Amino acid sequence: MKIFKLFGQIVTDKRLMLVFRLVLGFIFVYASLDKIAHPEQFARIVYNYKILPPLLINIYAVTLPWVEFFAGLFLIFGVFTESASFLISFMLVIFVIAISINLYRGVNLNCGCFSTNPAGQKEGAKLLIKDFVFLYMGITVFFFNRGFATLSTLFSKKITN
Amino acid sequence: MPTRPALTRILLKTLLLIFLGSAIGILYNVFSPSGITLKGSWSSKITSDSVVVPYSYKEGNDPPAISLDYAQMKFQSAKTIFLDARLPADFKEGHIQGAINLPHEEFDQHASSVLPKIPTSGEIITYCDGTECEASLLLARELQELGYKNIKIFFGGWAEWQGAGLAIKTGE
Repeated sequence: MKIFKLFGQIVTDKRLMLVFRLVLGFIFVYASLDKIAHPEQFARIVYNYKILPPLLINIYAVTLPWVEFFAGLFLIFGVFTESASFLISFMLVIFVIAISINLYRGVNLNCGCFSTNPAGQKEGAKLLIKDFVFLYMGITVFFFNRGFATLSTLFSKKITN
Repeated sequence: MPTRPALTRILLKTLLLIFLGSAIGILYNVFSPSGITLKGSWSSKITSDSVVVPYSYKEGNDPPAISLDYAQMKFQSAKTIFLDARLPADFKEGHIQGAINLPHEEFDQHASSVLPKIPTSGEIITYCDGTECEASLLLARELQELGYKNIKIFFGGWAEWQGAGLAIKTGE
């Protein structure tokens, strides 16, 4: 039983949560930059997913990268940490579904995850595994982040002092 | 585990985050030189010959788009060259029998070895995955610029050809 307790302590360790927060935050900020710089190419990739109705493609391509950017940034600094990790996990679930639908259709398409280059990543199932790892990080941060090294706790401490 | 009122707070803050990102995204798009229209035209179109083509196809300017039946007829006459515009890995997994691989994304790399085999007057049909890909169209445009006159695009592509159980080949 002791070993389970130890295991539980390790997977919910506040320092591990900090690492997850930083890794996931930087990944999302980084992933947003190329899409923000190339909205037209990103819209084309979204179109290729053949999931969204044509009317929503450009709006999605214009707004999603910025939502990724802010969610990542907030997670790094620890502002609205639960909300940021919840939003990131939610986006990851959407990505997993979108990629799975296309894998099921037999279409190995350009992911558009980190780069809008048309010759970019076409890694199919490998991508899903990556997304699941990120999703694990997002979910554990959501549940076990206890405000360790976040801006929110820093500020609330100042107020109580 | 967050309590119920805490969950409501979290959800509200999440919506706020989405709103913040979307608002700044739309604002940025208005002022950015690379901004795009919010309402894009992304639907597939149908040509006057009832062929489904991608939104970017320009009937009249671009080489004619052909149906599966027409492609099959040309395949049987055996005079037409089929050009597969997909990447070599996809080509190896399976392609229309007798097709030559000229990936649009790696055009410069492959053009020097492939193009000498094709006379400029020869009949060419380009294709890629299916209606959702544009490589066949972009390759056809490239060839048109190089002076090839008799080009057609089979937008149904590999998906339609394979789906119809027509002659295919795997490997190089």
